[in-house]
Amino acid sequence: MPKKEMPAGSLVLLILRVLQSGPLHGYAIAQKIYVLSAEVLHVEEGSLYPALQKILLKGWATSEWGLSETNRKVRFYSLTPAGRAQLEAELADYSRVAEAIQSVLKTA
Amino acid sequence: MSEIFRRIQYLLNRRRMDEELAGDMEFHREMAQRGGRSNFGDTLRLREDAREAWGWMWIDRLGQDLRYALRVLRNAPGFTLAAVLMLALGIGVNVAAFGFFNLIVLKPLPVRDPDTLLRFKRSAPERYAYSLPYQEMAFVRSHAKTLSAVLALNTTRLTMEGKEGPALVHFVTTNFFSELGAAPKFGRLLDASRDEAPDAPLVVVLSHGFWRSQFGSDPSIVGRTIRLNGRVLAVLGITAEEFSGLSMDKPDLWVPLVQQPQIVTGSHLLTELNEGVGVRTWGRMQPGVTPQGVEQELRYIVAEFRQQHPAEIWEKESLVSQPGGYAKSLMIGDRSGTGTEQPDKLYPLAMLIGSLVFLILAAACSNLGGLLLARGVSREREISIRTAIGAGTGRLIRQLFTESVVLGLLGSAAGLALGYLVLKLMMAWTGAPEWLDASPDWPVAAFATGTGFVSAILFGLAPAIQVARQRHRSTFSKQLLIGAQVAASCVLLIVAGLLIRALDHALSASPGFEYEGAVAVMPGLGSHGYTPEQSRAYVDALKDRLRELPGVASVSATATPPLAGSNVMVVGVTIDDGRHLDVHWNRVDPGFLETMKIPIRAGRTLTSSDMAGILISESLARKSWPNENPLGKHFLSGEDATGAQVPYTVIGITRDARMDALEDPDSVDAYMLAGKDDLPKMAVVVRMSGSLESIVPAVSSIARSIDPRVHPRVQTLKGAFRQKMEGIERGTAAAAVLGASALLLACLGIVGLVAYAVSRKMKEIGIRMALGARPGHILSLVLAQFSRPVAAGLVVGIGGAAALSDLLRRQLFGISPLDPIAYVAATALFVGTVLVAALIPARRALRVNPTNALRCD
Repeated sequence: MPKKEMPAGSLVLLILRVLQSGPLHGYAIAQKIYVLSAEVLHVEEGSLYPALQKILLKGWATSEWGLSETNRKVRFYSLTPAGRAQLEAELADYSRVAEAIQSVLKTA
Repeated sequence: MSEIFRRIQYLLNRRRMDEELAGDMEFHREMAQRGGRSNFGDTLRLREDAREAWGWMWIDRLGQDLRYALRVLRNAPGFTLAAVLMLALGIGVNVAAFGFFNLIVLKPLPVRDPDTLLRFKRSAPERYAYSLPYQEMAFVRSHAKTLSAVLALNTTRLTMEGKEGPALVHFVTTNFFSELGAAPKFGRLLDASRDEAPDAPLVVVLSHGFWRSQFGSDPSIVGRTIRLNGRVLAVLGITAEEFSGLSMDKPDLWVPLVQQPQIVTGSHLLTELNEGVGVRTWGRMQPGVTPQGVEQELRYIVAEFRQQHPAEIWEKESLVSQPGGYAKSLMIGDRSGTGTEQPDKLYPLAMLIGSLVFLILAAACSNLGGLLLARGVSREREISIRTAIGAGTGRLIRQLFTESVVLGLLGSAAGLALGYLVLKLMMAWTGAPEWLDASPDWPVAAFATGTGFVSAILFGLAPAIQVARQRHRSTFSKQLLIGAQVAASCVLLIVAGLLIRALDHALSASPGFEYEGAVAVMPGLGSHGYTPEQSRAYVDALKDRLRELPGVASVSATATPPLAGSNVMVVGVTIDDGRHLDVHWNRVDPGFLETMKIPIRAGRTLTSSDMAGILISESLARKSWPNENPLGKHFLSGEDATGAQVPYTVIGITRDARMDALEDPDSVDAYMLAGKDDLPKMAVVVRMSGSLESIVPAVSSIARSIDPRVHPRVQTLKGAFRQKMEGIERGTAAAAVLGASALLLACLGIVGLVAYAVSRKMKEIGIRMALGARPGHILSLVLAQFSRPVAAGLVVGIGGAAALSDLLRRQLFGISPLDPIAYVAATALFVGTVLVAALIPARRALRVNPTNALRCD
């Protein structure tokens, strides 16, 4: 199965979503998306970190120092209330668009 | 909002944030490697991409570009120096011109709250005056609710004991100093509560300059007395050096206006309502009031005042305001006139000067643009290496343009210094008042910086694009730059040529009257309180006594002494083709035309009974009544013996003569008998057959015997003429310097380009020489490519000069703004100089040795 790059714009949504269940470090975010997408969606370093920087700048997430499973000091990202609100808004948008696309695909 | 805040935090902690990011990514790699992946991109590149989200990358890039630009410029000191000098010249003249404009129009006077000051003039549909009768000012002062204070000023020259020549006295309202926020250097200044009372002792305040020159900066003068016009005044204090007052002349003394009648005995300044005597008037607006609001209120107040004085206050008179806290409002003085006021001459002149100095900048910029293109050739290697290692065209253009901006800013700094120096010299040269501070303030600094940026765009942007795309060898852009330089220098040379022609004409041609052997004696009777009758007696006595002197050929009187620039009365008339003519009103006695040797062309001269007769000059006759006989026609109107308005009848036509505005072809002169109101202003003109020196002591002794209080000013008309010429000489010199600098720039540009063309065509020249080409062929080979842009530039330049020169028309002493001699001479000078300049590098082509040239690459 070929690895798929993210459709533009949906990466932020996915990152926010995987952070919903608790703080994660950068690599864990990529891994979680990869695993949860049944190894279809592969998040490259080159798109993950710019997206994370954007999320931090917008105030949707904050970072804290913590220890990784390999005992290394890394940053853990966690959602802020603003991030939760953003996630909900983006989810609602996404479902609307997805439904719309679905209905076009089915009926056309 | 908080996002901006976070962005700024990222900017401030950039280094730490970058390290954290690097840490994250390093960890990511370690983990990924464990997961068995190894295809990583370039870390630096990835980090840069991530950092892009912060939005501050441009600062990093700008920093990089700046560092690189500085290094490049430091490595080419010759080029950098040449470029900065060229820009300093171009920006410097612009800064000087703007600095002057700034001083006059933009910079507030160094007084308290300059923005709430208004200066008033009387205005009615058919007349205007910049001084108000004292009573009108006083009426406004006591009634206006929109004004918190009214300031008034009257200037006179009076004799002071111990001082050579008259002292310039300003009579001012006692609130003058406190309203302007002036502090004394020593003693105190005028005070409304102590110096306004009718029985208050006579007092005087000394100006700083006068105190220094007359009393050697001795502070103990405060409390002592001086004798002014025979009266004893107590010295109250000395103003601070930087006090500007409200005039451009340099007053020696300030005396309370209410004390004027006691010092100038018999003066009716405070009671007289007639035009011609009055006070310059300023008002200070109440907070929150607009100038329109003030004018609105004053309209009612003046109308009310007119009900009390229907004869003296004009019909439909209003007081029109202009900002009073700027030097521009001080340059007007006491002008008055009938008809429409002549339009402001400052702005066309400012336009012209602005265009000329901009042309210098344009010439400097096109020159520099050429230099940058030529440098592009030597930077080809550098550019191709940078392209090869991944620099995009946009990045290269930005880098090259950054270099230009750095050059532009260096040029701004040098230009700012040069402009300050030029302005300072100019002001010292023209004797400007000391409080006019030429040192650059923020508008001037901003102007210099802005000009630096604009010039960077002018000279740097196009070459940057071309060099980055490696198209700098294209001849078209070079030809365009050459053409622009030629056009700009051509305009400057032609304007300089026109001014030189005008000056030459003014110095050699007669102004229409003979000024060489004549002297003007100006007793200033009005300021000594003479009534018209007393003045008539004084002038008659003076004339009679002067006629008895040996060497005196002719004596007569006039209210407007020729070339003196004082007491000038101008009537604006609009002639058929819509042009505005300034008719200079010469109020004279019957012998005046004979004394000035102005011949009568038709009709007859004035006699003492011609109260309603007028003589007009040929030009005025021709312009007002083309193809008609003007004799017997009615022209404007004046007061007859009973004070009623009667139209003047043209009784004679004189040869053209300009008594005052020599430079202005749109000014014409008319002569009529002096009326009753003119008598206290009369001056006497004396034509001498012998030497002029003997007249000065003779006048003094005669004047002493008639009235010892009056010390007439004596001036030879030749001296006055010289003074008038000095102004235009300076203007012409400045234009000539600008023209010469533009010519020099153009020559430098051409030399560089021709030298470049020769070195590129070495091989071709060698082949042609080997085949037997003559020197003429070789020269035309290297020069031909420049003939077309030079020709095009000349055409544009001549057209531009013709378009611009109309702004100069009224300064050219009647020389046509399209004067062919000036155009041909300037063009010939330009073509000749540039040709010689081009031949210097072109000769190198002739010395080419064909064998060597063919071998070289």
